[in-house]
Amino acid sequence: MPQFKLPENSRVQPGKTHPAPAGARDVRTFKVYRFDPDSGEKNEVDSTLTFRRSCREGICGSCAMNIDGVNTLACIKATSEIRGDVKIYPLPHMPVIKDLVPDLTNFYAQYASVKPWLQTRTPAPPDRERLQSKDDQEKIDRPSACILCACCSTSCPSYWWNSDRYLGPAALLAAYRWIIDTRDEATGERLDDLEDPFRLYRCHTIMNCAQACPKDLNPAKAIAEIKKMIAERQH
Amino acid sequence: MSLKSPLRRVTYLGSAKGGSGHWFAQRMSAVALVLLGLWLVAALATMGGASHANVVAWLSSPVAAAFAVLLVLVAAWHAVLGLQVVIEDYVGAKGQRLAVLIVVKFVFAVAAVIGVLAVLRIAFGVAA
Repeated sequence: MPQFKLPENSRVQPGKTHPAPAGARDVRTFKVYRFDPDSGEKNEVDSTLTFRRSCREGICGSCAMNIDGVNTLACIKATSEIRGDVKIYPLPHMPVIKDLVPDLTNFYAQYASVKPWLQTRTPAPPDRERLQSKDDQEKIDRPSACILCACCSTSCPSYWWNSDRYLGPAALLAAYRWIIDTRDEATGERLDDLEDPFRLYRCHTIMNCAQACPKDLNPAKAIAEIKKMIAERQH
Repeated sequence: MSLKSPLRRVTYLGSAKGGSGHWFAQRMSAVALVLLGLWLVAALATMGGASHANVVAWLSSPVAAAFAVLLVLVAAWHAVLGLQVVIEDYVGAKGQRLAVLIVVKFVFAVAAVIGVLAVLRIAFGVAA
């Protein structure tokens, strides 16, 4: 059965508060989820909050977390967009390593499993790159903009319940990006690999992925297109 | 702790190379149900206050009986397809999932046959 309750040591309890320094202006309360795998064993000291971050401009995808109930990138989410207290949690339904750092091992393996690289049998022209029309390039323009932050997959209920077998919106968007790349020659094999009740058809067009995507991409539409292509080759 | 690589865990037993038939059938049976449902509602609307004998006579006609049989079969089929999705979504344990699926399919098979026989009894004038 799906897990509807957090494990005992992950249930949210009231924690520490740090009052604003005297004379501070523009005071906002931040409520940040903390998870210490060793809690209960060692003395509670004020250790540093752990989270991933790198580019601070929404392109590396490291700082994906659940802010004010929505998966997004912390670096491009403005505090002014949020009313009242700012609640910050790690990406939902992933194993938490510490504080706001989820374990994305399975997520990355799923990305690797769709072979996100150009597969061809025709050798590239010796004197130049493989050509593609402008229109064809534009088809992969948007799906290529995915930064693999995992906001979409971890917002998807289907992914929560069956992430061991369902590839999730991010990996499927990546698969789609290579399926529609006119230079790729493994389209059939790619569709074969996806045609599976769990890998692909766990998507029920819930659309949380499109809503969560901080890059305004639409993985749900890409998945629908994959389903249409698989139907097309049978009719 | 598993020593399998994450990729080995994801690739698992490979693609089932299936599921598209289920997906297509679910959509087609939904379309059929809309049409058959409209037929049923339209037919019942014209028979408000009709006597039992009149309704039996109506359902005995080949066209009405055929549509009624189709309605029973398609409704059961669509229900099985839909419940399969729900079960695959929410029943995680592998053995349990298969067991529940089998039970659901058996129950709906029995229900569909009962429904078809009920229509046929009227169509063939067995039930008065």
